[in-house]
Amino acid sequence: MSSDTRPATPMSRQIAEHRSLLDRALGLPKLVLVALSVALIGFVISQILIGYMVVSGQLDGKWYDIRDFGNAMVSLSDAINSSGMDSRIASTLTYLIPTLLGATGIVSVVGGWLLIGPWAERRLLAKFQIRQGPNRTGPFGLLQSLADALKLMQKEIIIPRGADRFLYFAPPIAVFIPAILGWAPIPWSPKMSYADLDVGVLFVIAISSLGVLAVFMAGWASNNHYSLLGAMRTIAMMISYEIPISVSLLAVVLLTGSTKLSEIVMWQSEQGVWLIMLIPFAALAFLFASTAEINRTPNDIGEAESEIVAGFYTEYSGMKAGLFMAVELGNAILVGALMSTFFLGGYTFFGLETWIPGYLILATKIGLVYFLFVWIRATLPRFRLDQLMGFAWKFLIPVSIALMFLTAIESSILVRWDAPSFLSLGLIALVNVAAAVGLTFVWMRVLFRDTDLSAPPAPILTRKMGGLQAAKVLRG
Amino acid sequence: MTTSTEPYVLNIGPQHPSTHGVFRLRVVMDGEKIKDLDMIVGYLHRSMEKLAEERTFTQNIPFTDRADYLAAMTGNLGLAIAVERLAGVEVPERAEYLRVIFSELQRIASHAMANGTLISDAGAWQTPLLYMFREREKILDLFEMTCGARLTTNYMRIGGVAFDPPVEFWPALQELVDELPDRIDEYHELLVSNEVFLARTRGVGVISPEDAVNASLTGPVLRGSGIPWDLRKADPYSVYDRMDFDVVVGKSGDVYDRFMVRMSELYQSVKIIKQAISQIPSGAHKTDIPLALRPDEGEIYSRIESPRGEIGFFLVSDGGPFPYRFHLRAPSLINLSLLNELGRDAALSDAIVTLGSLDIVVGEIDR
Amino acid sequence: MDSPGIVIGFYMMAGLVLGSGTLVFLARNLLHALAFLVISFLGMAGLFLTLSADFIAMAQILIYAGSISVLMVFAVMLTPLASRDNGNTIYVLPGLLAAGGIATFVGFLALDTSWSGPATDFTTTIDLIGNLLLGKYVLAFEIASVLLLFALIGAIMLVQISPSDPEEGEGR
Repeated sequence: MSSDTRPATPMSRQIAEHRSLLDRALGLPKLVLVALSVALIGFVISQILIGYMVVSGQLDGKWYDIRDFGNAMVSLSDAINSSGMDSRIASTLTYLIPTLLGATGIVSVVGGWLLIGPWAERRLLAKFQIRQGPNRTGPFGLLQSLADALKLMQKEIIIPRGADRFLYFAPPIAVFIPAILGWAPIPWSPKMSYADLDVGVLFVIAISSLGVLAVFMAGWASNNHYSLLGAMRTIAMMISYEIPISVSLLAVVLLTGSTKLSEIVMWQSEQGVWLIMLIPFAALAFLFASTAEINRTPNDIGEAESEIVAGFYTEYSGMKAGLFMAVELGNAILVGALMSTFFLGGYTFFGLETWIPGYLILATKIGLVYFLFVWIRATLPRFRLDQLMGFAWKFLIPVSIALMFLTAIESSILVRWDAPSFLSLGLIALVNVAAAVGLTFVWMRVLFRDTDLSAPPAPILTRKMGGLQAAKVLRG
Repeated sequence: MTTSTEPYVLNIGPQHPSTHGVFRLRVVMDGEKIKDLDMIVGYLHRSMEKLAEERTFTQNIPFTDRADYLAAMTGNLGLAIAVERLAGVEVPERAEYLRVIFSELQRIASHAMANGTLISDAGAWQTPLLYMFREREKILDLFEMTCGARLTTNYMRIGGVAFDPPVEFWPALQELVDELPDRIDEYHELLVSNEVFLARTRGVGVISPEDAVNASLTGPVLRGSGIPWDLRKADPYSVYDRMDFDVVVGKSGDVYDRFMVRMSELYQSVKIIKQAISQIPSGAHKTDIPLALRPDEGEIYSRIESPRGEIGFFLVSDGGPFPYRFHLRAPSLINLSLLNELGRDAALSDAIVTLGSLDIVVGEIDR
Repeated sequence: MDSPGIVIGFYMMAGLVLGSGTLVFLARNLLHALAFLVISFLGMAGLFLTLSADFIAMAQILIYAGSISVLMVFAVMLTPLASRDNGNTIYVLPGLLAAGGIATFVGFLALDTSWSGPATDFTTTIDLIGNLLLGKYVLAFEIASVLLLFALIGAIMLVQISPSDPEEGEGR
């Protein structure tokens, strides 16, 4: 029996021989490795140098912090204005060029993510599920999403009989609009945001309410009961969970005193605290409600594949279904960006943003929130529709509103009370955490007063066989 | 004030992610609620029982692989035991122990699959299923080592088993048995106290003990309803009477209890395998029987405990090499018969989870 | 308002509003009409944006495009034979009369109003609106909120299932 350790079958042998991602990355040619590490070190050093020059004030006046593309845009506008063109052309150009460049930037960020995101999600899910994930297409399977997109584009477009053709073709495009528009107010660096709206928070809420109609149209026009069920579920969820989202954003606005996203980030940076520490319940409510809005587990009942196949896009084939899936992914990182901006300090990281570009910090935070989504998706089953609706209306909304009132009182004290910020904010954080925990506890007790919340009984072990009589004896 | 609504018909299956094969539910729904529910089977019908009348008893063993394709070993064993009882064939001691080991391994694999798909039906994105597959994979590797096939094993023979396991088998089995309890604990950690899972399964699809008995349910579905009935103890076959194990019985008969019964049976199966490994004698693994076995004229109903319940074989012999009548009592079909009652007035999501907890195999239902 | 970009934007949005508004009453399918109506709402929001009234624009999207439209969807879905049989009805004549009356009234108002120049430079409207709503017009604001509260309670009362009702309602 010397062959104890020999894997039994070809498949298990293959699995045992498989090397990890890191191993294979280190197994690349020496030259590539050296070039990659030199590039990485050079990038870091250059960023630190630029950061140093910015901090020491050597770049002020003459040139701007080039890491902030907003500054580049301002200098571009200045250059156009001072070039002596006709003023109308110049103003049109200053209007058009940054607009187009910014739009290109947003679309390429979203588009780039749509190429990387599915791969990242599938690899991560695979790691959670002890399998390999896509690793055949390109290095480490990175080109998988491209291959998928190509495959989807070649597929036949199937239009169900009895479908409402106009309403059937509009939704895959219509759902993309809010997914792209939502990126507009997000600040990536102090001056780097596409449209730093004064009504940024309202804009976010308004944009998030736009997707509902496209989903409904998709479900209605498909002429399929699964689609209609999925659409109705999604609409019910979106309408219900918009309220906790709005209320938690209201708490943010109350504390920071601004609806401008850049000012919300600046407030967090100046106070040296993230809002998730001050209003944790609002942050968690936002996160949970967002998963309901964008149809991710545990709230993905709108497209619960074990129940209603693919929900509202059951009847869509080829790239049209691909667009729906892409929007889902795009929305996930949009929620990540919003979550980071509102509750996790945005592009700042306690002073680190002076040393490395703000957008890298924001991207990291988005990635972390996205990782959380993937983690949840890999771990949790989904709720039932009535449970989710009950959770929103019976628990999330009342508790959020009560805590929002508390936040309002605190914020009005905060502006009048001239205490050191660590004292006042620390007190607020303490009060809020205590209130959230206490209110949750009390409210749950009220809600579930008739329900048995004890742990489920363990099964009985027996050796005496029998029928109904034996069952009665066993149950006692 | 009430709004009048219009019921509509939803076709779940034969192609649907959660019908576990080609099984069709025709559901009349009112909103999210099921008003009426028809089960339509027969998409996988291969006329197995009729075909069996044209094959010798040994040639029929592969059919039982394809009936309950997730528990081929117990299907094989059921037929083998039925024929042995009909023809009075003696089975060597070693073969009996091998049969116990392999049917318990098969039970672990099948329960893992059943619970994994149940959780997938509840909406977890396949993670528990794939965790369950990790152990199932190792068990299937052991099958492959022994008989060359992973799913349709065709391993049990009339009068013993087809092959003696190779030498690599025993250390691999020992390793698996040693690590299995830890792995099952891992599933427990992941699932049993998961609030979402509890919310989805507790109090859902409750089968009362009376209903369970009246519908002649068997297996984990029956035990989940609180009836202590397991053929391994109630009507011992092979060498189960020498094994020291407990029968797991649920309390409330809901989906959660059926899940937990399967979960806890994994521990018991491991316990049985451990005892079998320590007790197994050496010797022949098979008695030689004539190629075309001709049992005496007569009939027999023989039953064993498959992972899904009582799998029974009713054989009639007219003294020839072929069975005159071959009937398979499929536990899946009979367990499924209550779905109509369970699904009515339930939410669609609950009905799907209930269906998952009944653990049907369509190959066995349609045969 | 003078910037060419804003002028172009204004005409685009105006075209969108008018075009989709026309399609609303030309479409024979109720759901198509609804889709065009939403597009016209969005165009209106764009028009508000060109006037630097960003709060109103957002409120327009949030309330009309986001919520009222869903309400209309439900209304359409609760209508028997919606989007299937929208033939001529006897209500065409009174409808036309009412529309003509409203158009005349609005047109008369528009002609009669002495349009002052565009509002002078304010960078943000949300502060102004907030101060006015909670300062000068606080009474109207509070009355409106009480009205909404009554509407909310009324809606709950309407759909509440009374315990004596043997036929359980369809409330979720």
